[in-house]
Order: sequence, then C-alpha cells, then structure tokens
Amino acid sequence: MENLLVIAVGAIFVNNIVLSRFLGLCPFFGVSKKTSSALGMGSAVIFVMTCASAITWPIYTYLLLPFNLEFMRTVTFIVVIATFVQLIEMVIRKYKPGLYKALGIYLPLITTNCAIMGVALLNAEEGYSLIGSVVNGFSAGIGFTLALLLMSGIRERLEFADVPKSFQDLPIAFVSAALLALAFMAFSGMRL
Amino acid sequence: MREEVKRILGIAIPLIIICIISGAALTATYGLTEERIEAVEQQKINESLSTIFLGASFTEMDDYYIATVSGEEIGYAFIAEGTGYGGTIRTMVGMYPNGTISGVSIISQSETPGLGTRIAEPDFTNQFSGKRIEGVRLRRDGGVIDAITGATISSRAITDIVRERAEVVMNETR
Amino acid sequence: MKLDELTKGVFKQNPIFYLVLGLCPTLAVSTRVDNALGMSLGVFFVLVCSNVIISLFKHRIPPQVRIPCFIVIIASFVTIVDLFMHGYAPELHERLGIYLPLIVVNCIILGRAEAFASKKSVFDSFLDAVGMSIGFMLAIVGIALCRETLSSGKIAIFDYTIVPTFTQSPSVMMTLPPGAFLTIAVIMAMIKYKAIRKEGR
Repeated sequence: MENLLVIAVGAIFVNNIVLSRFLGLCPFFGVSKKTSSALGMGSAVIFVMTCASAITWPIYTYLLLPFNLEFMRTVTFIVVIATFVQLIEMVIRKYKPGLYKALGIYLPLITTNCAIMGVALLNAEEGYSLIGSVVNGFSAGIGFTLALLLMSGIRERLEFADVPKSFQDLPIAFVSAALLALAFMAFSGMRL
Repeated sequence: MREEVKRILGIAIPLIIICIISGAALTATYGLTEERIEAVEQQKINESLSTIFLGASFTEMDDYYIATVSGEEIGYAFIAEGTGYGGTIRTMVGMYPNGTISGVSIISQSETPGLGTRIAEPDFTNQFSGKRIEGVRLRRDGGVIDAITGATISSRAITDIVRERAEVVMNETR
Repeated sequence: MKLDELTKGVFKQNPIFYLVLGLCPTLAVSTRVDNALGMSLGVFFVLVCSNVIISLFKHRIPPQVRIPCFIVIIASFVTIVDLFMHGYAPELHERLGIYLPLIVVNCIILGRAEAFASKKSVFDSFLDAVGMSIGFMLAIVGIALCRETLSSGKIAIFDYTIVPTFTQSPSVMMTLPPGAFLTIAVIMAMIKYKAIRKEGR
C-alpha cells in the first residue's frame, strides 16, 4: 500500500509540478498577472486534474494494459482528456452559468495544458493505484495553484517596482520563477 | 430529422476515419519496432547481469536469477526498483548466498543530470561490493556507503532500494 | 516570398522567445546539449509531418471537430517517434522520459496546425514547420549549451570536449530548475535590450 501522505506532500512541495517538473508553464506565465485570475485558473486545474487522473487510470489499467496496448497511451490519454474538458465545459455552461463565468474561459486553455497530460502519464509510469492516482492528481493541482498564487502575488508587486527596461514583464517574471524554484528546492531535503 | 442525422454524420465520419487510420498506423509501427524494443530491454538486463557476476551464466527464476560458474551456484541476481529524486531507479543487484553484495549496476534512472546521475558511476556503485546487506545504508544513517555530495536523496534512495529488495530475496532463497 | 515562411520561425517569430510557446520541454530537457538535440529532432519530425498532413486534408476536416482531429494526428506521430526512439536510441529515450510523449501537448505544434497549416498550402505549411522547428532547435540547444557549460565547467557536445575543463567549481545549480528559469530570463532580456536599442536609434 502506497503512503498517500507521501504522494501528496511529494506532489505539492518536493516535486512541484511547475517549479521542479516544468509542466504547465504556459498558464503559469500567462495567467499569473492577477491573483484573482490565478485563483480561477488554479481551481479549474485542480478539478480537471483530479478527474483526469480518475478517468485515465481505469482506461490504462483495464483497457490498455491487458491487451498489450500500452503504446497507445499517448493517443488515448489526450483524446480522453480533451473530450472530458469539452463535456465539462458544456455541462457547466448549461447548469451553472455563474461557475461558467468564473472558470469557463480557463477550460479551453486546459486541454493543451501539459500539466494535465503530464500527471496522467506520471500516474501510469509510477504505477499508482486508483486512489494513489487521484491523490496525486489532486495534490499536483494544489501544487500548481500554490505556485501560481505565489507567482501572481510577486508579479502584482513587481508592477510598482522599478525594473530595468529590458527586464520588464516576462524576463523579470522568469527571474522571480527562478527564485521561487530555488526556495522550493529546500523541500527536497525533507525525509518522507 | 434526416437533415440533422446527415449533418452529424458529416462531422463524425471524418473524425472516425482519422481515428481508424491512426490506430492502424500505430499498430503497424508497433509491430515494426516491438522486437527491437524488447531486444534493447533484454540487452540492458544482460549487460548489467554480466557486470555484477563476471563470467557467470544465469538461470531465470520467478523474480531473481541464479548465477552459476561451471555448474556451481555462486549467488543470486535480482532487479530492485523504487523511487529516487526524479523518478524510478532500476538497479540490478548481485548477492552471495551469505548475504554479501557482489555488485550493483544501474539499469535505468532519471535523476538530476550532473548530480543524481552520478549514482550510476562506478565510483559510487563499487562501494556496494563486498558489503553485508545490513550495512547498505548511508554513513549518516549508520551504514557504510558514502553519499554523493549534493545528491543525498538519490544516494539514500538507492541504498534503501537495494537493501529492502535484498532482504526479501534473502528470505526467499533461504 | 517563399523564403519568408521559412525564416520567420527562426528569428522574427521564434516560438520560444517571441511567441513564448512550448516552454515546458525547453526548460525540462535543456540540461544537456544531447538531450536538447534529441528533443528538437522529435519536435521537428512531429511538426513537419502533422503540418503537412493537416494541410493536405484541410478541406476534408469538418471545422466543428478540427481540434480533436488535429490532436489525434499529432498524437499518432508522437507515438511513432516514441516507439522508434525506444528501439533505436534507448538511452536518449530514457533521458527524455515523459517529456517525449508530452510533445503532443506542446503548444507550438497545435498552435501551428490551427494558425497556419489549416489555412495555407501544403508547401507553405512544410516551410513553416521546418522554420519553426529550426527556431525551436536554436533556442533549446542554445539554452542547453549555456546550462551544460556552466554546470559542468567544460564545453562538450556528446562526448567530444570542445573546451576542456576551465573551472574546478562549476555551478551545479544551472542543471536544476532555478538555473533553467535564470538562463531563459537573461536570454530574453538580452533580446529585449537589443530591440529597445534598435528602436531608440
């Protein structure tokens, strides 16, 4: 039995999906200018990542592995994730217009978010159980949101900083990300 | 109504055709490369086996190999794997029947280049040779293995992986 | 001008530095020059093949389901690369790890399919793909060269040493995540600096 706490802490801090695995960088830099939109994007990612882990696990374990179709996993995962995101978008738009307004604009962006696909592939690679996969997906989502929130906080303050012209906007954001990643590396010393 | 069905089919059929073609193309590619991939994987295992027991021949058992030299059993080899710093570490471990490690060789790992990857270098792996399995721990954890500077996590992971699996095999072969 | 389609991806619209697409593999795989080259090779194959195929069949693909169609086509080529690399370059395959299948969600590829190949002629799409791949390669290999040099204290491509060890205490941090972010920050700032200088004149 895998230790769920170890998976969770590992996914949130030690192997933070953005700062140590380099997944989901496009939204990390694209949607981190304001804390409010960072929070919206973060919740959408947590939700989709958890569900995607739960859906791809049975498909991989009961459909691909028994028939020796492991090599089809890239195609299968991406199609399943894309379909799922589309469905969610339609359902939310119809039944929860308020939520759609808050999350809707981030959903299409998520299909090509490599973090979602990356987590599904990592679950398969590490051979987690269903519960392990879901916990890993959820925690990776939390880790993503945490990094995004920290980053947006920093960038909101940078607005008022006197940054050299050539470093304005993206370059300084990358420098901040480097310092953030350096800070997160301290977690790798934890004994789990 | 018929118009509607026609419209939906017009959208669905091209998508289905693309999926079928893609499935067929992939199956064909898989068929082409399958043997080659298996050979590559087998070769990795054979290479690591031959480095831990020089000149021995191996008989595959359930989950370990028995190493023999001219008909005489000299030890066991087995694959030990677990999570390191950056992902799964797979090692081949050789052990004499008395519980001494004969050698360790890394089959695959994905640790940090320049730091964790040094666990695959002989300077590190040679330390295991001739050590009792109880002693396979880092020095700071009360064992006899020196960690690689800057890669304590990877070093500790590999000692744990090797020791835990060795204890299991030790009990099985007794 | 046909040549424009080729060269714009290399400089004017470099996918990494100007369009800021496909960052994930760029940062993750640029720890070593040979990994970076392997990754660009994979991206080159997938981008060229999918761009050409999508452009060939652009009139047959119904617009309502074009994204799923693109994704399936791209994912198939990614799997083909994955399988061949596993069989013929196992070491590289292992080092690239999950970043190889992740080419499928590389924004450059879907982005080019959507913005270019689904509208333009086959030949133009081919040139566009080649240009974009070269641009990607220049960026990722450049970053990898900086990182590997600073972290190993010598310049070496594959096992050929070009400049022998020049320092006994290299900065290991450059292979770790912070080094990746710093490298790209400095390169981007340099490009911006040049652009500002040019405008000022």
